[in-house]
Amino acid sequence: MKGSSGKTRMASLMLILGAGIAFGAAASGEMAAQVCGGCHGADGNSAVAEFPKLAGQQKIYLLREMLDYREGRRHSEVMVPLLTPLSEQEIAGLAEYFAAQAPAPGTVARPELLALGKRVYLEGNTKTGVPSCDGCHEENGEGSKKFPRVAGQHAAYVLGQIAQYASGKRSNGVKVMRTIAERLSKEEAEAVAEYMASLK
Amino acid sequence: MRFTQIAILCLGALAWGVQAAEAAKPAASVPPDAELARVLAMKGDAARGKEAYRICRGCHRADASGKVEAGYPQLAGQHPGVIVKQMVDVRAGRRDSPRMHPFITGEVVPERDIADIAVYLHGLPVPASNGKGSGRMLELGRHLYERDCAECHGKRGEGDGARLYPRVAGQHYAYLLRESMESRDRGRRNANPDMVRRIRHYTDDDLAAVSDYMSRLVPKRP
Repeated sequence: MKGSSGKTRMASLMLILGAGIAFGAAASGEMAAQVCGGCHGADGNSAVAEFPKLAGQQKIYLLREMLDYREGRRHSEVMVPLLTPLSEQEIAGLAEYFAAQAPAPGTVARPELLALGKRVYLEGNTKTGVPSCDGCHEENGEGSKKFPRVAGQHAAYVLGQIAQYASGKRSNGVKVMRTIAERLSKEEAEAVAEYMASLK
Repeated sequence: MRFTQIAILCLGALAWGVQAAEAAKPAASVPPDAELARVLAMKGDAARGKEAYRICRGCHRADASGKVEAGYPQLAGQHPGVIVKQMVDVRAGRRDSPRMHPFITGEVVPERDIADIAVYLHGLPVPASNGKGSGRMLELGRHLYERDCAECHGKRGEGDGARLYPRVAGQHYAYLLRESMESRDRGRRNANPDMVRRIRHYTDDDLAAVSDYMSRLVPKRP
């Protein structure tokens, strides 16, 4: 891989996003309701814990993930056929739309895990080489550009993704999550997912 | 960077690499220092470096102060060339850091990002709250430092950016102690052979004393 590929990817994502704005917010909202709303909720606050909340998500991250599905870098039997017929402009419009929606608060099912989750999130585990999550995802969980928002996300979805990273099923994006997922204990993963859900 | 300086750096790095490989465990091959030369020749951009540094913050913290208890080094104010050399060495397998290695592959941190991160870190204020030793052997530490270390690392621990000698002032005591022990015992494979020779006969107490002394040095800010 070329050394500069990261930067080039970011630049091309920004260009595509620029085109998406031209597509129009109203049209994107309609498409979001029709194509995505069934699972993710029309406003991106999905009601089902296995489907990620998209409301308030980082738009560059949303765009990158949708393109990765379409181009075979991220895998899902559901997402790939839904995204394949869409144009880049339409996808960019969806990213803009969901990024602009207000995220609903998350649900904490196991509050007894929050103390450990907070420690992992803010301090990592220096014995096993787990970095703290706030380094990339920010202290409040809002993420930053290519690093996704995790605040208020469904714990079940987060856990599912950690498992996919650890097994190598999910390998797109920034290449550090596999290592982190491998280094997290089961208890730490569960706890940090609860803590992410608790962030607003 | 001036051409002659780059040439001297490349030659120096090459000679150093060869000596280190001979001194250390038998390596399959001597890894080339081409990437080091390339990144050192880049002009880093601090604003881009701030963004690229995000991936490092989970261990080295947002203010680059590291983590005392984990032995993660303090990076703020370090010379850019030193940061570049150590990042490239860990990536190339010339310095062992199993915890860090997966986070410094070319996919995660492209060469350009290394140059940018190095400049960004150099510009950060050095926190005064670094980890220090017991303070009980500072006179011994000063004596050893001034005899064996100051020539390269500077009287006040300021290091020498052009020669890729790290700033040691304000570094965490535990990190300095661990790395100097590793260097003495030939575990740190990219250690400067001249330094290894100088500390070869140091006792653990000598290393603790000099590490404590270094952790308390404060260079003059220009």
